[in-house]
Parts: sequence; C-alpha cells; structure tokens
Amino acid sequence: MTPDRLTRRRLLGTGAAALGAGVLGLGPRRLHAQSNVALQLSWLHSSQFAGSYIAMDRGWWSEAGLDVSLLPGGPNAPVEPPVVSGTALVGISAADYTAAAVEEGAPFKILGVAMQKNPFVVASLPDNPVNEPADLVGKRIGMALANTPVLQALCTLNDVDMNEIDIIPTQYSAQPLLAGEVDCLLCWETDLPVAMAIQGIDSVTMLMADHGYAVHSQTYIATNDSIANRRADLVALMSGEVRGWEAYRQDTDAAAELTIEMYPDAGLDLETQKLQAARQVPLMFSDLTESNGFGWWTDDTVAANIETLALLGRTVTPDLWDRSILEEVHGA
Amino acid sequence: MTGLSLVHAGRPARGMTARGYGAWLGVLGLLLVWEALAHVVSGAFVLAAPTEILAYLVEDRGLVTRALGVTLGNAALGYVFGNLAAIALAALALLWPRSERIVTGLALLVYCLPLVATGPILRVLFGPGAGPQITLAALAVYYTTLIPLLVGLRAAPAGWFDLVRSYGRGRWSELVHVRLMASLPYLFAGLQIAAPAAFLGAMVGEFTGAERGLGVLTVRAIRALDVDMTWGVATVATAVAILAYVGLGMIARRFLRDAPPVILAAPASDTVRDSGSGWKAAIGVTVIALAGWALAFWVFDLNPFFAKGPMDVLDALLLAEDAGATRGTLAVALSETAVYLLPGYFAGLAAGAGLAMLLVLVPVIAGTAMPLAIALRSVPIVTTAPLVVLLLGRGATGTIVLVAVMVFFPTFVACLHGLRQAPGQVLDVFDSFAAGPVSRLVRVRIPAMLPAFFAAARMAVPASVLAVTVVEWLATGAGIGSLMAMSASLSDFDMLWSSVVLVAAISALGYALVGSVERRILRVYAPEQLT
Repeated sequence: MTPDRLTRRRLLGTGAAALGAGVLGLGPRRLHAQSNVALQLSWLHSSQFAGSYIAMDRGWWSEAGLDVSLLPGGPNAPVEPPVVSGTALVGISAADYTAAAVEEGAPFKILGVAMQKNPFVVASLPDNPVNEPADLVGKRIGMALANTPVLQALCTLNDVDMNEIDIIPTQYSAQPLLAGEVDCLLCWETDLPVAMAIQGIDSVTMLMADHGYAVHSQTYIATNDSIANRRADLVALMSGEVRGWEAYRQDTDAAAELTIEMYPDAGLDLETQKLQAARQVPLMFSDLTESNGFGWWTDDTVAANIETLALLGRTVTPDLWDRSILEEVHGA
Repeated sequence: MTGLSLVHAGRPARGMTARGYGAWLGVLGLLLVWEALAHVVSGAFVLAAPTEILAYLVEDRGLVTRALGVTLGNAALGYVFGNLAAIALAALALLWPRSERIVTGLALLVYCLPLVATGPILRVLFGPGAGPQITLAALAVYYTTLIPLLVGLRAAPAGWFDLVRSYGRGRWSELVHVRLMASLPYLFAGLQIAAPAAFLGAMVGEFTGAERGLGVLTVRAIRALDVDMTWGVATVATAVAILAYVGLGMIARRFLRDAPPVILAAPASDTVRDSGSGWKAAIGVTVIALAGWALAFWVFDLNPFFAKGPMDVLDALLLAEDAGATRGTLAVALSETAVYLLPGYFAGLAAGAGLAMLLVLVPVIAGTAMPLAIALRSVPIVTTAPLVVLLLGRGATGTIVLVAVMVFFPTFVACLHGLRQAPGQVLDVFDSFAAGPVSRLVRVRIPAMLPAFFAAARMAVPASVLAVTVVEWLATGAGIGSLMAMSASLSDFDMLWSSVVLVAAISALGYALVGSVERRILRVYAPEQLT
C-alpha cells in the first residue's frame, strides 16, 4: 500500500514537476486540506528511521488523519531546503546543521530530539585503540575534512592539542582503517562500526558524547510558520513518531525486519539492520526520556548544546528549541 | 599499398577474425589476472574477484534487476528529452543561423554546470520523485548530440546543394534531401555517446534522495564495506553503458552505410571569419544566461533561502562584508582542484594521442585496443571513482588518474580516427620516396590528426571538470567538488551558487581557450580545415 502511494507521488512529481513546485510553494494550507504531509529523512531508508516505519505500518498516522510520505535523503540531498519550501512539513536534521541553516536565514525550530547522544564516535581497532580523547595524540585519523570543526571541538573540550593529530582526508568508508592507512576513523556509532562487525571485524568505539560533545542529533525541525499554522498536523506527526519509537525500543529486531519488508529495494542486509537498530537504542533513550518521554530535552541539555555549538562556530540561543509540540504530544 | 590498407583499417578487413580471437584472449587474460589479484588482496576490502562478483549478481539478481530497471527507465526518459532538446536547438540554429553562436554558447554553459551542485538544486525544484534523475540524464546528453548534429547539418558537399538548386528546388528540399541525410551519421554518433552519459546522469540524480536504483545501491554497498556488492553494481552499470553504446552503434549501421563518425565536434573554425563576433556572442550568451536565471526564479517563485539569483551571487562575491572570505574559500578550493585537474587533463591528452600514434606505427594491436577504448569510454564515473580511489589511494594519484582516464578515451578514439584520415595520395607520394613510417607519421598523419585531437581536447574540458568534482565529492573530500557538497549540506547557498557560477564559467572559458589554441595551430599545420 505504501509503495503504491509513493510511486504515484513519483509519477506526479516527474510529469508536473514545475507545476508541483509552484503548488507546493503556494502553501501548506492546501496540503492541510488533504492532510497530506511529508517527513524528509536525512539519509537513505534504513533502520535509522525504523520508528517512523512502525508508525506508518501500524496506521497510527492514518488514524490521526495524516497521509505521511517518508522522503529518503542521500549523499547529495540536504534536508533543510525541502522543509523551508514546504515540500516537507518536518525534516530530520541535527542541531549543528539546523543552526547553520538558521544563520543563513531559515526560520526553523527544533521540535524533538531523537538522538539524545550525538552518534559521532572515533572508531579504532583493538590492537591500537582510542579509548579516550588523549589517546588521539600521535594517531592518524581518517575523516571528511568537512568534519574538522567536530574534531576541533572534541579536542578543546578535552584539552587535547589538535596539532598532535594527523588528519587524513577520507570519505565515508571503513576501508582505510582496515588497510592501515589510518589508525582511527571519525564516523557514526551506528554505521561503519556496524559494517565492520558484520564483516567479522571487532572495533573499539569512543562515543564523543561521553566526552563532552553535546550536539543533539536526528532532530525534528519545522518552520515557525508551520508551528504557528499547522499545529494539529505537527502534533499528530510527532505523536506517531513518539509511539513508533517507543515500539521500536520494545523490539529492535522486529523494527529491522519491518525496515527490510517495507524497503526491499534499498539493498539492506537484515543482520546489519538488526545490529544498527540495537546500537541506536542507547543513543536515543536515556534517564531523561525515561521520565519525560521520547524526544525530550531540558534547559540543561540545551545549555550544553549551545556550548558545544559555540565551539563549532555556531551562535545559537535557547529559543532554537521549541518544546510546545512535544509537550502537547506527551501531555495528551 | 600499406598506406591504403591503413586508411581503411576502420572497416572490417581480412585480418579481422584473427584480431577477434586476440581481443577475446586479451579479455580472458585480464580476467585471470584480476581474479588472482583479488585473492591476494582479499583482506584489504578493495577488490572483488570476477567469480565473487558473479556470485553476488546471481544471489542478489532480483534486487539488482529491479534497481537496474528503475535507473534505466529514468535514464531512458532523460535520454529522450535531452536528445529532443538537442534536435530542437539544432533546428533553431539551422532555421535562424544568426542564433547558432548564442545557442551553442548557452548550451555549453548549461552543459558545464557542475552536477554535484545542480543535483540538490534540482531536488528542491522538483520535490520528491524522479525529476532530478531524469533532468540530470537529459543535461548529460543534449550537448554531445547537439554539437555533432550541427556539424552534420553542414557536412554536405556544396555540389549537392547546387544539384538541388539546378532542379529549381528551394531550402525545404535542401533540408530534407541533403542536410538531413548528411546529418544522420553525426546524429547517430551523438546518440551513441549520449547513451552511457544518460545512465551516469540518472545514477547521480539518485544521490539527491531516491528510494531505489543502482546509485542507491552503490552508496549502500560502499558504506557497508560490501566489496562484492560494490563491484557487482559497478559491473552491471558498466556493462549496461557499454551495451547501450554498442547497441546504438549496431542500429546506426542498419540505417547508415558507414559506421558513425567518432569525432564529435567540428574544428573551432567559425570564429576565424571575424574575431570581433566571438566577443559579441560571448557577451550575448552571458546576458541571456543571467536574464534566464533571474527569470526562472521569478516564474517559479523560489524561496530565497536556497535560490540565489545573479544579484545574490554578485553580492556574495563582491559587495558583502564577508565577500573577501568567500572569495578566499573559493580560491583555495579552486586551486586545490586545479592541482589535480590540470595534470590529469594534460596526461590524458598526451596518453590518448601518444597511444594512437603508437598504434599507427604498430597496427597489429589496434584491432584489440580500439573496441576496448570505445567500450571503456562509456564506463560511468560514479561507479569507477570510488573503485579507482580504493585502488590508488586518496592522494593525488587516484584523482589525477581518474581525470586522465576520462580525457584519455575520447582523445584516443578521436586521434586514431584522425591519424587514419591522412589522404591516401599524400601517403602514396611518401611511399614512392620510400619514406619510413615515422616520417609519414610526423609529416602526414599528425597534421591530419590535429583537428580531431583538438575537438577531443575541447570536449574533454567539461568532462574532466565533471570527473574531478565527482571524485572530490565522493572520494577525496577536497577542492571545489567537496566545497559544493559541503555548502549544500550546511545551507551555505550563497557559496553553492557562487561555486556553480565559477565552475561553469571556468569550464566554458577553458573550452574557448582550447579553441583559440586550436585555431592558431591549425592555421599553421592544417589551414585547409579552417574554411
């Protein structure tokens, strides 16, 4: 059922692209009448977004009168523009990317935080491990040069001299680590280490969030206009997300299986998806979400984010975060 | 006699069967070496053996077939739209000859837009769906069809027009009976080279957010460290691109008496007539491009957050407070790119021309090398870029080699063709003086090769820019390609649009620069080409 709908969207999108862009640009109200909303994901379909798949599969959105499309991202698919243009009601961004977009004039607020802990890790091999930031000294780290500010922030937070680290520009693959071109990689807890584990290679990961790097990730963003004028849709969408992710947590294996079932053409491997889904749980759920519910944040976590974002060269104020939608969801 | 047989070496000759065997033996040997090498380095997650690739493709045939279907479908639509656009533009240039310079100039400028940056922009314009895939496929093909078609429409001998006129017929008959017939081989040449390009465009389009397709599988496989899948998908993409190329060649031969020409552009001779009009055309193209850009924004009513117009770019580059910093960032990125681009470009040209000359001196291997080069010309770079960088490393070597490879194949094919165009009578004269093969090469064949060489060198400018930006984006993370990808993800759209403008302008200028070098050299060595 879902694939059909997406196919139809695709065909419409192809033929009437110019027209469609105009109509969508004209405004959310028209979409509202059909309760047709899109959630722009930040990457290709995978169990990274399995909570959303559960919400869709169990009909929690359609019960609430929403017809939700989950738009896949990709290596060349920025999340923020479709949200600004109204193509997507909500996007999955991260606090640092959202802050950058807001600096460029995008009218965004963060509505919810899926990843309480930032997923960035330094991954290394057990015979030459990086267990804490001080271990980085004298090591060759493979990373995209675009992430230099991330490493810089980690070094500043932990009094490590970044000049003592040898940065080797690599793109996103574990291969340079295995080939011995680098001693460690800057990557996500949930992808390259998972890929290595599936290939039978043990790795050591140092979660940057455990060493002061506080940047909310997989954050839900929407425009001020949507928050003012489409509250009902936003509450319904976020409510489905919250229920979906709570169900995800109960059985991550089932979530991974659903991912494969819903997206058979995404080229996903079940074991990889299961491991990824399991590894994601400690990043998404904490004492904070335990007592307040999925997606929550407090003034303290926001303050920590603002501090880290400042190290990344982003100046933000606490009003970048707007908890009103989430409060409505959890209060209901 | 030797001279004559060389001139006709492009057509099937008596030695063909032996050469056919040789080609197959060569391929078999290559596969064996590949297999052995893959097993030697199996722990490095770099190379999959042919047997492993085959095993993967058999096991996951359903997945790969469905992905191929999606990508192929989008590529086909883009191919049709792009080629129709090319034919329409050629018709415009033919019916209104004054517009030709402007049409080709604008077409070149649009062709030079870097797809790393146009991808996300198109995604925003089209929203969800296959719009960006189809558009990028269309953008990848229309120029390489338009240019040979324009050449073809003028390729008829003057005597044919005299004949039509002597029957008292007008321009319409001229068009139908002479021009269209004369242009067919050129049209087919364009359509043939366009097929693999459309496939590449469709794959890159998938990187802007697609649910299925070979591009999606490529990204997935590389991240998952799944070497068999990475090479499996690359093999399918390569095979399809080559088959499309060869298949269209076969169709062309059903319609035409000779194989389609391999040279895709005419000598840059037009501007010789009066050098002033070149500037006029350049200014016209710039004005129309800027006006069209501003107009499109007004028509589509795009959000100024990501849609930056000419004034925004001017502001970002010259007037804004941080304009100096923006220019600095762009200059650093462009110079990083130049370090890879220029050596790769010149190495590719030198290798292409050099190997072609070597093959003329040692014609035995030409039978194997020519079809191989033509086939490899169609290998899609998005699949090869990660592979070459895996094999050669992330340093300068990998990138330079990839750029060189992109330049090499078309140059080689064009030069070999050009070398064989040497007039038989002139070669006979050299024969009668018992001149050696080297002397014939230097005095007859190389001058005859120059127009083809320069045509390839010009077309190689946008191709090498495409190659270097794709490698920087997908593999090395340096230079302007990476800057564009990064600006898009950090919402720095002023930087993104400024990069697009600079890259397109520099590519177009590079193309023009090669054209002016070409005219200077042809004036001395092959003045008959500058008619």
